[in-house]
Parts: sequence; C-alpha cells; structure tokens
Amino acid sequence: MAEPILSVRDLKTYYRTRLKENVYAVDGVSFDLHDGHVLGIAGESGCGKSTLSLSLMGFYFPPLHYGSGSIVLNGTDIMTLPYETLRRDFLGKQIAYIPQAAMNALNPTRRISRYVVDVLSEHDIGTTEKQMLALAEEKLTFLGLPPRVLNAYPGELSGGMKQRTVIALATLLNPTVLIADEPTSALDVSSQKVVMAMLHRMLKQGLVKSMIFITHELPLLRHVADEIAVMYAGEFVEVGPATDVIFSPIHPYSHALMGSIIVPEEGMKARSLSSIPGAPPNLKNVPPGCRFAERCAYVVPECRMPDPVLAAMMEEHQYRCRFDEQELRGKYALEVPAHV
Amino acid sequence: MAEHAPMRLEPEARRGKPLLYIMAALAAGAVILTALSPYASLGWRIALAALVMTVLLSYTLPAFGKYLRKRIFWYTATFFVALALNFFLPRLIPGNPVDIILQDLMMGITDVSRATALKNQYIAQLGLDKSLVEQFFIYTGNLFKGELGMSLYLAQPVAKVLASKIPWSVAIMMPAILVGWLVGNMLGAQAAYKKGVYDKVIFPLSLFLSSIPSFIFSMLMLLWLGVSWNWFPVLGGFDAQIINKQSLVYYRSLVAHWALPFISQTLIIIGGQAIGMRSMALYELNADYVLFAKLQGIRDRKITRYVFRNAVLPQVSGLALSLGGMVAGSTLIEIVFSYPGLGQQLMMAIRNVDYPLISGCTLVISITMLVANLLIDIVYGLIDPRVRSAQTEES
Repeated sequence: MAEPILSVRDLKTYYRTRLKENVYAVDGVSFDLHDGHVLGIAGESGCGKSTLSLSLMGFYFPPLHYGSGSIVLNGTDIMTLPYETLRRDFLGKQIAYIPQAAMNALNPTRRISRYVVDVLSEHDIGTTEKQMLALAEEKLTFLGLPPRVLNAYPGELSGGMKQRTVIALATLLNPTVLIADEPTSALDVSSQKVVMAMLHRMLKQGLVKSMIFITHELPLLRHVADEIAVMYAGEFVEVGPATDVIFSPIHPYSHALMGSIIVPEEGMKARSLSSIPGAPPNLKNVPPGCRFAERCAYVVPECRMPDPVLAAMMEEHQYRCRFDEQELRGKYALEVPAHV
Repeated sequence: MAEHAPMRLEPEARRGKPLLYIMAALAAGAVILTALSPYASLGWRIALAALVMTVLLSYTLPAFGKYLRKRIFWYTATFFVALALNFFLPRLIPGNPVDIILQDLMMGITDVSRATALKNQYIAQLGLDKSLVEQFFIYTGNLFKGELGMSLYLAQPVAKVLASKIPWSVAIMMPAILVGWLVGNMLGAQAAYKKGVYDKVIFPLSLFLSSIPSFIFSMLMLLWLGVSWNWFPVLGGFDAQIINKQSLVYYRSLVAHWALPFISQTLIIIGGQAIGMRSMALYELNADYVLFAKLQGIRDRKITRYVFRNAVLPQVSGLALSLGGMVAGSTLIEIVFSYPGLGQQLMMAIRNVDYPLISGCTLVISITMLVANLLIDIVYGLIDPRVRSAQTEES
C-alpha cells in the first residue's frame, strides 16, 4: 500500500483542569489516512471526537495540552515544528478545520472579503488584495456560492450559506487534510445534503486530498467514509472499512452502537432500538483493563485486567477486545434478537 | 433573526456610505439651526432641526429613515411621559412650598386669621389653588414657550438657576466619564487577556470600586485625602474668600476643589467599566470565530484585534448612557463634597419643596438621557454591522 498522507501514532492529549488534574481525552490514538480517502470517526458525546479533531491540528492552547505521540503529515512530524512554521505552512494551508459550530465561526463585524485577506496574507499568498479576492471569488464560484458573499457580513448570510462559506474559507488553500467536526449537525436536511455534496465534490476534484469526518450520525458516515473508526473514552475501539464496521462490527461497543441507531432498511420498523446501559467512564480516573467493561454485555473478569491492545496495525480491520472475532460473532449470534 | 436574514442587494451607489449621508444630514440640520431667527426658543429650534434631519435621512436612506422616524416617535412619547412624571411626582411630596417660604414671615404673626389670609394669598399668587391637572396644562403651555417658571424659594427664573449649575456638574462628570471609560476598558481588556496575577488584582479591585456605594466611597476619599492628609480642600466649588474671579488664585482654587470629586467619580467609573469590559472580552475570547481563525493560521495579534473590537461595542453604548447621565450622575458626590452642581441644587430644591425647580432639574436630566439614547441608536449602526442590518431591514 502507498505511503499514507497522514499517519498518527499513539497520540495522547489531555485537558488540565483547574485542580491541576490531567484528563486524557485522547489516549493513544493511531491511524493512517491515505490519499483520496475519508476517515469517519464516530462515537457518543464526550468520547473525545472533537478533542481528537483539535489535537490533529498540532496546535494546542489551554486547557488542551499535548501529551505524546506523533502526527506525520506528508513526511513531516508536525509536532516537532516551531509554532511559526506550523502556523504559516500548515494551519489552514495543508491541514484545515471546519468547526462544529460554523454558525459563529466568523467574526460578526468583519466582511468576508476582509477575512479572506487576513487569512491569505498570513500565509504569504498573493501580493495584492485584488489577487487574494480573485482567488476567493474563484473558490466561492466553484462551490456554487455567489461572489457577492465576499461583500457581506456573516450576519447577512443564511445558516446554510454561512456553513458553505465557512467550508469555502477553510479550503481556500486546497488543504491536504480536511478535518470536519460535525459540519452538518446544525443544519436542516436539505442544507446537509448540499454541504455533503460540496465536500464530496471537493474530494473528487482533488481540491482536498483526504478528509477526516467526525460525526455522531452513523448513517451519514456510511455514505461518505471509506474507513470508520469507532471511538470510546478517548480510544479507538475499532477501525476498519466503512461497510464492515457498520454492517458487521466486531467490537462489543460498535456492535451495541450499531444496534442503537435507526438505519433506514427493511425490517427496521419491526425492530426495537436498544440502548447501551450506563455511561462512559470518568476520564479523570480510568479503570484498568478494557474501558468498556462496565457496560459490556459480554464482560468476563479478565476484561478488568490490564489493557487489551488493538490488534496489529497492519490488519485492515482492527478492534480492541480480548476476545477474537470468531468468539464475538458466536456471542452475537446467540443474542436474543430485539424484536417487538 | 440573523439566521433567516436574506442577502441584501443594495444599489451600488448607496452601499457603504451611511456615514456620509448622516454627516450631510447633520450639517444641513446645523445650518438651518443657526439660520433660524434668534428669537425662537431653543426647544423649537432643536425640534425643527431634528425634523429637517429626519426628512433628509428618509430621502437619502429610506430604510434607515424609517427606523429613525420610529425611534423618534417613541422617544417623543417617552418624553411626554417623563414630562408628566416630572410634573406630578414632586407635587405629591408631602409639604407645601408656601409654608417654607413663610416660615420666617409668620414668626411675628399671632393672629390666626391673618396668617391664613397671608398664606392663601401666596397660594393664589403662585397658582397652587388650581387643580393639579389645570396646573399641568399651564406648566406644559409655558414650557413650549420656553418658560420653565420661577424658583419658589430662590425667587429666580429656573432657567437661570439651571444654567448656572449645569457647568459645574458637567465639569466633574464629562472628564470623569471619558477618563474612567478609557482607563476602565483598557484595564478590563488587559485583565481578560493576560489573566493570572494581573486579573487577580484588577478584578477584585474593580469589583470593590463598582459595588461600594458612591457616597460611602466619596466620604472615605474626603476623610483620607481631604481631612486626614489634607491634600485637597473638602468643601464647595472654589475658595469663597477670593473676591477677584479673574485671578490665577481663583482658578487654582477651582482646580483644587474640583480634583477630589473628579477623582472619586473617575475611580467609580473605572471600576464599573473594567468589570464590563473584562467579562465581554472573556466572552469574545472564547467565541467560536477565535478558534476558527486560530486554526486557519491567523496570528494571535490579529485575532486579539478582532476580539477587542467586538468586546468594546457594548461598552460604547455604556459610554453614551453615562454621558446621558452626565448632568445628574454626580448628585451623590456633589452632596458629599458640597459641590455647587445640579445634583446638589436638586436636593436643595426637594428639601424646600420648590416645585418648578425640581421639575426643571428632572426635565434637564430626562432630556439629556433621551438625547443620549437616541444618538446611540443612530451611531451604533455605524460601528456594528449586525445592528446596521437590523436598522435598515424593512419590517
């Protein structure tokens, strides 16, 4: 397989609380992202998805701190770079970010055109404002936005338009990796569709080389992602090809998660939705052993012993459980189907 | 609202030039104001100038003109409510001005019927025998002729009393507000941005200054700086022993008497402004656009500029409001320092149940408040595009 574009190894980042406790919200995450691929990251609230997306930018500000691990982008470990280099050559240029709350992602008292000039001049792109605005106009037109957006204040744009403008601004410089943190969660379905089509088009045209798409909406991931990582309590518990993870998850958590969502498929109506009992562990004080043990239906005493590790990185479909795939599949087959 | 606001398409020529038009309208208003007959009363001249400006604005910026007409309508309505309250509230105070005026005169009179006759004569002369409603219409009628009436106790025209007192109050409040606003906002912004020890000193200090009652604080200042350390004179607006009002000595005594109330008022304003600015800046520093800009590789220096521009916006309206309270804001301080301003005059008028003077003072206060509010309504659109689109939206 070709060299990955982005290679993350054992990344650990933590929040420092006021009481000087370290809460590891991302605790040993590793994955590879290849050219043209979309990695979907799924998980319930508070599992560390958003923290991971911020951590991948390689730029930390309190209360988030860098612990250990490497983020290698196109052969450069961005964690070893001085801030000024990272800011000028990577942030917004090679690695771009679409925030969760795009509604408020733009300075309300600055015209979009002024903001474009601010961004581009910080990366030494274009010598005159005219050049910079021409570049932005080209981008907006390509994404189906009217050029008059440039002359507007953020408050003058509708919600969907603002979100698309944010995406256009985030991808002004054709980033290698685009990290989208729930870019559609605040939109109605028709705007969602437009935004998804827009992201897809950028990927196809090569304006964005690869993408990390973070969401709690699993059905959405099925359509966009090539690989899916399921995150739980700061760790990836399962990583694999999108269809495999969605239709035949191996890890008990992924299995339970897929059982608790509505998938518009035949027979869905007849099923009752199950939910996972309990709540994720407090990350301040992680229990030894498997983090899902407390809520797992198949827990055995050994699960609470020291960490089960994710299977070898070379494998396509990895999961973090002491049982092997055959054992788990056997257990799932015995499960009482949740018919009404 | 902002979510559904559609893109506005303005004609090219009108885009981005509201300032120009407002300036032109203000200039035309000013020209007409001065061109008017010098015999017309000030109130009428101001009303006419406002009318001209409104018409001009309606022509040049239709949507904004409509917004402005609405505002002016409501401010006018508010003015009349304030006028009625200014009239009736003092007259509901128990007591009678005639009793106070006749206090000394009555001393020698033992004949009850003569005393009553004298009292009734005064009451009739002052028009106090008429019903309150009737008095109100007479008062309002005179007001529109530019007459504020005579002070009952001082036996001087109210307008003259006000004119002699207002400069003293403005001299304390105007510089105190401007200096306090500037320094307070700078301190608040610094506290929010630098955090740490800096914040731990500025924040509690500002909280103390802004929450201690101003009269207690000024009494403490008076006690320490004035009495104990004897740095400043403690009473009045100037040294009464100086006869020559043109001499340098007189001006020096003016400044010396002015300093202590000015310092007290400034410190109080600094406290309030610093707290407001600190919390606004903290809010803006945590806004989503800050994160997005950071992750787009924009330098901190530039983001800080975004943040403070946005954080200072509400403070600007705070500034306008305090300028509106300029003539009355220092009442308590004036009383503590026996400073001869409008506030002290108002308190004396209340003590003497001097109806026309009380109403006059409160009228001036109401008008400055309303004008300040109207001005901020207009000016705010120039500095905040969000408000501008609300102002110019057809509704």
